[in-house]
Amino acid sequence: MNPIGLIRQFIQGLTSDTDPRQIGAGIALGFLIGLMPKATLTAQLLIVLLMATRVNIPMALLSVLAVSLANPLLDRLSDPVGYALLTSEALRPLWTKLYNTPLMPWTGFNNTVVPGGLVLGALLLAPVYFAGKRFGVFYNEKFRERVMNSRIVKGLKASWLFDWYFKGAV
Amino acid sequence: MRKSYLLPRLILLALVWAFFFFAFDPLLKWGMIKGVEKGAKAKAEIASLHTTFLPPSLKLTGFAVADAKDEYKNLLEFSELAFAAEGKPLLEKKLVVDKAALSGLRFGTARKTSGKLAFVKEEPSELVEGFKKESRDFALDRAADVKAGAVEDYKVDPSELGSVKLAKQLEESYQKDYQDISARVDTKKYEAGLEALKARYEKAKGESNFAKQAKDYADIGKEVKKLTADFKKDKAEAEAALAKARDSFKAVDEARKQDLAAVMARMKLPSLDTQSLARMLAGPVIAEKTATVMKWVAMGRKYMPSNSKGVLKNEARRGREVHFPKAESYPNFLVRTLSVTGELGTEDPLEYKGAIEGLTTQPQVYGKPTTAVIKGAKGARRLDFRASLDASGAEIKTDSALLYTGMPVSQLQLGSPSSFMVDITGGTGAFEGGLKTAGENLAGKAALRLAGASFKPKADNIKAAPLRSAVESSFAGLSSAYIGADISGTIKDPKLSVNTDLANALSKAFSGAMGAEVKKAQAEAQKKIDEALKPYRSKLDDTAAAKQAELGGKLKEAESRISGLGDGLLKNLTPGKMKLPKFKL
Repeated sequence: MNPIGLIRQFIQGLTSDTDPRQIGAGIALGFLIGLMPKATLTAQLLIVLLMATRVNIPMALLSVLAVSLANPLLDRLSDPVGYALLTSEALRPLWTKLYNTPLMPWTGFNNTVVPGGLVLGALLLAPVYFAGKRFGVFYNEKFRERVMNSRIVKGLKASWLFDWYFKGAV
Repeated sequence: MRKSYLLPRLILLALVWAFFFFAFDPLLKWGMIKGVEKGAKAKAEIASLHTTFLPPSLKLTGFAVADAKDEYKNLLEFSELAFAAEGKPLLEKKLVVDKAALSGLRFGTARKTSGKLAFVKEEPSELVEGFKKESRDFALDRAADVKAGAVEDYKVDPSELGSVKLAKQLEESYQKDYQDISARVDTKKYEAGLEALKARYEKAKGESNFAKQAKDYADIGKEVKKLTADFKKDKAEAEAALAKARDSFKAVDEARKQDLAAVMARMKLPSLDTQSLARMLAGPVIAEKTATVMKWVAMGRKYMPSNSKGVLKNEARRGREVHFPKAESYPNFLVRTLSVTGELGTEDPLEYKGAIEGLTTQPQVYGKPTTAVIKGAKGARRLDFRASLDASGAEIKTDSALLYTGMPVSQLQLGSPSSFMVDITGGTGAFEGGLKTAGENLAGKAALRLAGASFKPKADNIKAAPLRSAVESSFAGLSSAYIGADISGTIKDPKLSVNTDLANALSKAFSGAMGAEVKKAQAEAQKKIDEALKPYRSKLDDTAAAKQAELGGKLKEAESRISGLGDGLLKNLTPGKMKLPKFKL
């Protein structure tokens, strides 16, 4: 995604797509992306999924940022899980087949933190979603109006460039 | 679909396309120029660079990199480099090129503009500077004034002698080596291992199950044999390492010869030693060529992975990468064959062609060495260059050989203008050289045979008329010469030994003209040097002898203890007698 598009999604997300379920889904998806090494096709596909669905983008991006900062700690959990999966004798034929399949090396599946992160993310997806949903309710009650009336959002909404670009979507 | 959704995406696509169409090639060209300039410490130029994505290819034309030592000369240039990458390996993040072509490769061509980079200074090579100094300081001007007692007044300061400095340095390094070697032979480890095996034996002795006891005994026996064999191996290695450390003392003798030449030079007297004369004559030229070769070797090694661990270690920033068997394994970067064409020499160039095979960043994955074969011929001239670089093992090994016969020698200057010079013009030369490296160690030989050349000595600095005329006449009838060099040491600290028959001619001239006086002075100087060196040399030899005896004693004692323990255990390792049931008849 281009930087302008990202800003657009971010500002749009602060004021629209703020249903608690959308916020919860955004945080959960952001959590999963945050666990992945970003320079892999897996992370990029998850980002495409994030952009393609109507989840709350700013919350997802904040979630990615927060989880990425906590990566050194979370890797301690995901790395042994991934290592156990990648060195499992039962799964060895599958990994070997994937390893020999074109494009698959770009997904980084043979890096312990990718399968480990996916498993950890899948296990925690539901709890994170529900926690995010509760946070969405709290955000809508306490902050949404304040954000809408903030100088930045108002100023941006008043600019002609913004108006042309968003076509009144905000 | 709304226009507001479509438009930004189309703009983004257009921007990406515009970047690759307008900016990618110039950016890549700029990056390559800067990279080459950093490595060569001189200006680099690329006339054009063109890449395509489908199929992935690169074409580079008009490449030139200047010589950091000579701003108006190019170190090398080529007219075109072109290759296309294979598509399938790209899907696996690998860049594999089956055939690449490098054409118009030439060395030492003239430049119209200066190739000097601002604020970049080429560090002078210690090897070259050392030889140049030796040649410059070679004294001939007072040879006529030499008197029997001239050296008697000269005082040798031990702290200024290279041999004394080296002896002190060797003593320190020997002590350190000894400590390392004796620490490596950990006899306690073996004794503890044998004690543990003894405890296992005691336990097995009480075992009632005969089969289990036999198996335990067999295992213990195997381990005892392995332990004693390992100890013997360690012992042999330690003794060899200590002997090798002592071998380095030979360098003191070489330094002693150089001290003599230096003392003679300080007294403005010539040395008659052919080694010193050869170093004075051919040393600077050979050292300069060697330093250039070493620079290329060092640069090549810089971009080579040090060993297999260096390539297959965990290369991910996060997590660990687990590798699986591959049906078709490609290195990350591989050029299977790079065909090379070019010219050697600027006047009447010799055309050559050849190929470099197996250029890769992961030799361990590729499993084969990188090889180069270049050949050229024109009339009586023949060029044959072969090289191989094997980095697929634990250490990098290179082996190269160059044969160039019928080479025209337009001008070659030996010696130094401040002492004595020989101008060699015309004729042809035949060069034969070989260089092998294994890890950091170097071993090589080079020989240049000149024929049909004219030798003009420049002996203006020799003030003594008889000596000058003797030198001039010794070169007058010469038409051929041999210049050879042996290279040893390490890549960082190469050692050169130079020899030439021109030195013999010069030595004969010196000896004939005033050899007796100079020889007497030389013997006197040698005596003084030996006296100054004696206490340090004795200390070094005594230390080595004492340490060798100490380690030998320790190892012998440990060997008798370990063998005693091992033999005792092995003797007892026979299963207990099986009790057979008694039958009453």
